[in-house]
Amino acid sequence: MSKKITCILIANRGEIALRIIRACRDLGIKSIAIYSDEDVRAVHVKRADEAYHIGSAAPAQSYLNMTKIVETAKTAGADAIHPGYGFLSENENFSESCEKNGIIFIGPTSKAMELTGDKMKCKAVMKKAKVPTVPGSDGIVEDVEEAAGIAGEAGYPVLLKSAFGGGGRGIRLASDEKQLRQEFEMASAESRAAFGKAALFVEKYLERIRHIEFQLIRDSHGNSRHLFERECSIQRRHQKLIEMSPSPVVDQKTRERVGEIAVRAVDAVDYLNAGTAEFLRDPQGNFYFIEINSRLQVEHPVTELVTGLDLVKLQIGMAQGEEIPFKQQDLKMNGCAIECRINAEDPFYEFAPSTGIVPNCNIPYGPGIRVDTYLYPGCNVSGYYDSLVAKLLAWGSTFDEARIRMKNALHEFMIEGINTTIPLYKTIMDDPNFIHGELSTDYLERFKILDKMTDNAKESAKKSAKAAVAAVLLRSEFVRKTAAIQESSAGRSKWKMTRP
Amino acid sequence: MQFKIDDLPEILDGEVLRTAENNSVLVKIGGKQHVLRLLKSGTDEFEFMLDNSFHSAKILQSGTSEVRVMIDGQPLVVRKHSKLTEVLEKTSAMGGVGAGDRNLISQIPGRVVNISAKLGTALKKGDVIVVLESMKMQVAVKAHKDGNLKEIKVKQGASVARNDILAIIE
Repeated sequence: MSKKITCILIANRGEIALRIIRACRDLGIKSIAIYSDEDVRAVHVKRADEAYHIGSAAPAQSYLNMTKIVETAKTAGADAIHPGYGFLSENENFSESCEKNGIIFIGPTSKAMELTGDKMKCKAVMKKAKVPTVPGSDGIVEDVEEAAGIAGEAGYPVLLKSAFGGGGRGIRLASDEKQLRQEFEMASAESRAAFGKAALFVEKYLERIRHIEFQLIRDSHGNSRHLFERECSIQRRHQKLIEMSPSPVVDQKTRERVGEIAVRAVDAVDYLNAGTAEFLRDPQGNFYFIEINSRLQVEHPVTELVTGLDLVKLQIGMAQGEEIPFKQQDLKMNGCAIECRINAEDPFYEFAPSTGIVPNCNIPYGPGIRVDTYLYPGCNVSGYYDSLVAKLLAWGSTFDEARIRMKNALHEFMIEGINTTIPLYKTIMDDPNFIHGELSTDYLERFKILDKMTDNAKESAKKSAKAAVAAVLLRSEFVRKTAAIQESSAGRSKWKMTRP
Repeated sequence: MQFKIDDLPEILDGEVLRTAENNSVLVKIGGKQHVLRLLKSGTDEFEFMLDNSFHSAKILQSGTSEVRVMIDGQPLVVRKHSKLTEVLEKTSAMGGVGAGDRNLISQIPGRVVNISAKLGTALKKGDVIVVLESMKMQVAVKAHKDGNLKEIKVKQGASVARNDILAIIE
C-alpha cells in the first residue's frame, strides 16, 4: 500500500469536511464532497472540488449509506475516503468495504478497528499488554437483570455504556437500582439510534476523576508516536465541552510515562493512522486506560496548535504508506491551547437542541485564534445532525494568555437565530476553579457553573433592559405608522374600484 | 404599557410620548424621559442613540404578548406585562389551573422516537410521556403535572416544532 493518493472523497459534513478539504488543497489532492437533501446549501459542498448528492436528510439514507458512498467514490474516481469523525468513521464494515473495493480508507484497518470498537475485547488485550484499565465488570450485559446484578456487586454509582459507542453517546449514570432500570432502556435506545446496536456494559463510576487523553499516530511500518496529552475533563453528560493541552496536572515526567503506556496500547492492537488513547486519572494520580478512539478526534486542533503539526496531512501520508517523518524526541510542546465546542444547544434550558437558520454571525479572529466552523450568514443548523456548529480555539505562550484570548474571542463571537453554549464558556473562562486548573468530569455540578452563568446573564440583561424596551416601542410605533399608511392607500384603491 | 424582561424581576413602564420630524422620538422608560435618535429603521431592524450610546436592535420574533429581540448581539425576551398576566401567574403559582396548563408543550424541535405513556392512564409529574430526538440527542419530555393522559397529539416518527402541543393532561 504505497500508492500516492490523488483524490479523496470526504464521507462527512460540517466543519470536519471543511477541515479535510483544506488539507487536500494544501497537498494538491482533489476533494470530493457528498451531501444530503438537508445540506444542499452547506459550505462543504461549495468548497470541495466536486460534490455529489447522495440521499435524503436522515443520516441512514445519506452519510451512513455505505453502499452509496463507496459507489460514489468509484464513480468520482476517488482513490481514498476520509471518514472524519462520527458517522462511519469507526465502522469496521465500512473500512472493510473500502479495502475490498480498492479504496484507501484513511484510518485504521478494519481488523484493528473491530478490536478497538469492541471495548471488552480491547480491555482484555490491554490487560495482557500491561496497560492499566478501569476496575469493574467484564463483559456485555444481556438484559437489565444482569446489569442490576453486576452493578450491585461492583457498588453504585455505575455507568451504563454502549459497547459500540464513542464520543459519549449512549452513556448513562445510575446511582441506584431504580435509576439503573430506568436508564437502561434510554441508553439502549440511544445506542441503537446512533450506532444501530445496543450492547451495553456496566462499569464502576470513579469519582472526582479527570479525563486525559493522548493523541497517537502509527504508520504501516510499525512506528508509533504520541503527540502529548489533552485534558478533556470539562464535560456534560460525558460529552466533552472544553479541551486543552497541556493538562495542568501532567508534568514532563508524567507525560513521558503515560505517553509510553499509550504507545504500548496502540502497538498492542496493531493500530494504523491517527487515534487517541483515553485515560481516566484519579485524584491520587493513577491513570486508567478506557478506550482507543479509532478516528480523528473533534479536538485534534488542540494538538495541532501545541505541536505545530497538521494531523490530517499526517493521516493522508500514513494512509499512502509513508513513514512518520519525525522521532518522538523531535517533538516539543509549545505554549498552551484551549478549545471550546460551540454547540447549538440552550445552556439555560437543559441544553435543549436549537435549530434553524442563522441569519447573521460574526466569527472571531486575531492573534492565536482559530475557528473551525461551517457557519456563514444565512446557513441552516439542522436537527438531523449533531449540534456542534463551531470549534473555537485559542493559543497562547502560557495558559493565561490562551485563556484571555479565548475569553475575548467568545465576546466577539455572535451567532444569531439559535441558542449556543457560548454563555457557558464565557462564565468558565472567568471561573477561579478553571483558572487554577481545578478540573474533574463533574466540574459543572461541583462548582455550580450553570448558576454562575445564569447570574451573569441577568447582569447583562439588566444593562440592555432599557434599550430592549426602546426597541419594542420603536417597533410598535413603526407597525402602527405602516398600518396607517396601508389603511389610507387601501381606502383609496377601494374607492377606485367601486367607481363605475 | 408595562414591560418585563425575562430573567429580571423588575417591571419597566414604557411609552412613546411624541415623534418629531428629525428622526427623534421622545419616549418615557422606567419613569424617565429620553430622546431617542433613530439612525436606521425597518420592519425588524432598528439602530438608535439612547442616552449617548448606540444600540442596534433586531426583532427576532414578535407576538402579541412577547417580543424576542437581539440588542447589541444579546438575545432578550420582552414581555408586554399587564395586570391580567400578573393575576394568572399568581393563581397558577398557587396551584390554580389555567387553560394552558393542560397542554404539554415541546420546548424543542425534533422527531418523535417513542411514545412512552398510555392514553387514559394516571400520571405523576415527571413521568416520561414522549421521547424526542434532535441533533442525535434523545430528550425525554416529562409530564409537567399530575393527572390523566387525556390525549396524545403526536404520532411516532412525526416531526414537532418548538411550542407544539404534545399531549393533554387533565
